[in-house]
Amino acid sequence: MTTTRRQFVGGLGAAAGLVAAPGILRAQTQGVYRIGALCPVTGSGSPFGSGMQKMIGAAADIVNAAGGAAGRKLEVVYEDTQTNPQAAVLAAKKLIDVNKVQILMGTWSSGVSLAVIPLTNDANIILMNTSGAPALSTPPANAKGLSYRYQATNDRFGRAFAEICVKEGFKRPATMAFNNASGIGNTEGFRKAWEAKGGKVVESVVYEPNQPTYRSELQKVLAANPDVIVTGSYLADTTIFMREWYQTGQAVKWIMPGWAASPDLVKAVGPDVVEGVISVDSVSNENAPSYKAYDEAYKKATGQPGQANVYAAMTWDMVHVLALAMEAANSADTQAINAKIREIANPPGQQVFSFAEGKDALKKGKINFEGASSVLDFDQYGDVTPDFGVFFIEGGKLNRRYVVKI
Amino acid sequence: MFYAQLLVNGLVQGLVIGLAALSITLVFGIARFPNAATGDAMTLGGYSALAAFKATGSMALGGVAAFLATAVVSLLAYLAVFRQLANRSVVSLLVASIGVAFFIRAVLGVTFGHAQQVFMAPLSRPYVLGGVRITPLDLQLAAVAAIALAAVFGLLYFTPIGRQMRAVADNRDLARVSGVRPGRVMVALWLLAGGVAGVGGMMLGVKTIVSPESGWEMLLPAFTAAILGGIGSPGGAVLAGLLLGVAQEASTPFVGFTYKIALAFVIMLAVLLVRPRGLFGRVEGAR
Repeated sequence: MTTTRRQFVGGLGAAAGLVAAPGILRAQTQGVYRIGALCPVTGSGSPFGSGMQKMIGAAADIVNAAGGAAGRKLEVVYEDTQTNPQAAVLAAKKLIDVNKVQILMGTWSSGVSLAVIPLTNDANIILMNTSGAPALSTPPANAKGLSYRYQATNDRFGRAFAEICVKEGFKRPATMAFNNASGIGNTEGFRKAWEAKGGKVVESVVYEPNQPTYRSELQKVLAANPDVIVTGSYLADTTIFMREWYQTGQAVKWIMPGWAASPDLVKAVGPDVVEGVISVDSVSNENAPSYKAYDEAYKKATGQPGQANVYAAMTWDMVHVLALAMEAANSADTQAINAKIREIANPPGQQVFSFAEGKDALKKGKINFEGASSVLDFDQYGDVTPDFGVFFIEGGKLNRRYVVKI
Repeated sequence: MFYAQLLVNGLVQGLVIGLAALSITLVFGIARFPNAATGDAMTLGGYSALAAFKATGSMALGGVAAFLATAVVSLLAYLAVFRQLANRSVVSLLVASIGVAFFIRAVLGVTFGHAQQVFMAPLSRPYVLGGVRITPLDLQLAAVAAIALAAVFGLLYFTPIGRQMRAVADNRDLARVSGVRPGRVMVALWLLAGGVAGVGGMMLGVKTIVSPESGWEMLLPAFTAAILGGIGSPGGAVLAGLLLGVAQEASTPFVGFTYKIALAFVIMLAVLLVRPRGLFGRVEGAR
């Protein structure tokens, strides 16, 4: 083989680049703290993922503008989970091994978080997630206490569903669950809470994702003649079975998690089909100044109101909690940060709503950061307990009728 | 009655699988490799049909658009990629087709975004025939599929180019010495295989949602149907798709909804063990 001059020069350039690269990397690690933003940009989480990433970036900018955390600038590396555990594991490996991120945040969907958490545990870094599966609270997933969940657990969602059934006077609930830890977590949480109240679930179906039709599944559930169907579902599958249900003509009410019964669902199936569907989601901390700041940032980044994406409020809070914990620990070491997270987020302490405010207040004493997504008080499992908004879909709009506390 | 309803549910699913399997089996019979880009060609069909449907409001024009757009893209994929690799091993072609699949999916993702899109077809109450519910939309889709299938089989069995295609599928060398020009056959093949996948993709999109990943997920059942029907046998592929759809739905009272997908693979395994040439396939000698 002969080497042309062009190839030779190209090879030389590449070699020079290789030699120089570690130097560049070393130079960057000085005073930088790397965040891996691992969000569902594609797949069933796609309505939320890019907004979540944008808010991680926006919050990091705010922290950097206020002089950084513990003297370090935050730098964000973005990856897509594709809402798919295999893809998420590859992306997490890349973030941890190649980009050397010091924390992962923003995983959505329990299947993804449960797949990623062994990697973060092995690397001894924190995982901040927005998933609901009960298994994330306890060992083996949370064996090292490095997992923080900004979303209510599916169990808590199930309890909220049961409260709503009582309030609305339903007697014969049936359940339909997407076959993953989150979907089944919702309906099992509901069943436990409902049976504890002396009720009985008349039929339950677990279904597979990506099916061209769910008519047989519906047929089985509807045959039990329920007065309400409680789901643990996602947007895509809900779109399909709601259309098919409407065509059966059998009257029944629905209670669904907010990530399924969203404005996107109304857009997808039309207002007639979803009229009267009850959509339940954790409510953001809407009256707090932290929410106002988030809302402005979200509008600026996406042109939509902050309410459109509760998960973006969560990722916004993730960066704030991290930065304040770094500041309190005055360190970028994971163990030191981990030891401070509950201290800066939970009471007691001076209530603060922004990073700059918290950074100042930390000089005087303890703080209690109140987030945009919830008041963010982490229990021993790293779980939060937000309140639940109960939305009725009426004329194509999601109207919040009341709030359920559990 | 319960089972009759499951049967109807399964037929609809089976038509989608059958069209995809037909596209796979055509390519396998003539170009001799498993085309992993079939799923994403379906996705493309879904998006083209959606665009035409939004612009004109006609489902029939949607079908035409799906057929044409996917046929053209599939031909381009042949000219740009598969023709260059025609004399390589099956594995190279398979890997190349996975690459084409990724490329199509990425372009669709960038162009249309990753949010789900839907056909806003008016929803109507089903006809009830002897207790079995059949929706008008399903009948329309079945009609579209039937027209597409009739066109494909008409072309294959009643036109000179179809005869040439079957000749190449039978014995490439013999066809060549008999004066069949492989170039023309390949162009016809890719147009046809693409168009069929496009129509299947439109059906999938109308029934479910359109997203860049939707077709890819149909690939495994489609391959199963192609193998079950006998690789290279167009009629077998369609029949096997229908069988598979019905078998999946009819099995649900016994195995539940979670395992009905596994059933496809159990069937495939059984076919490979017991009757490796499939329902209608021929035994091929290795050369």
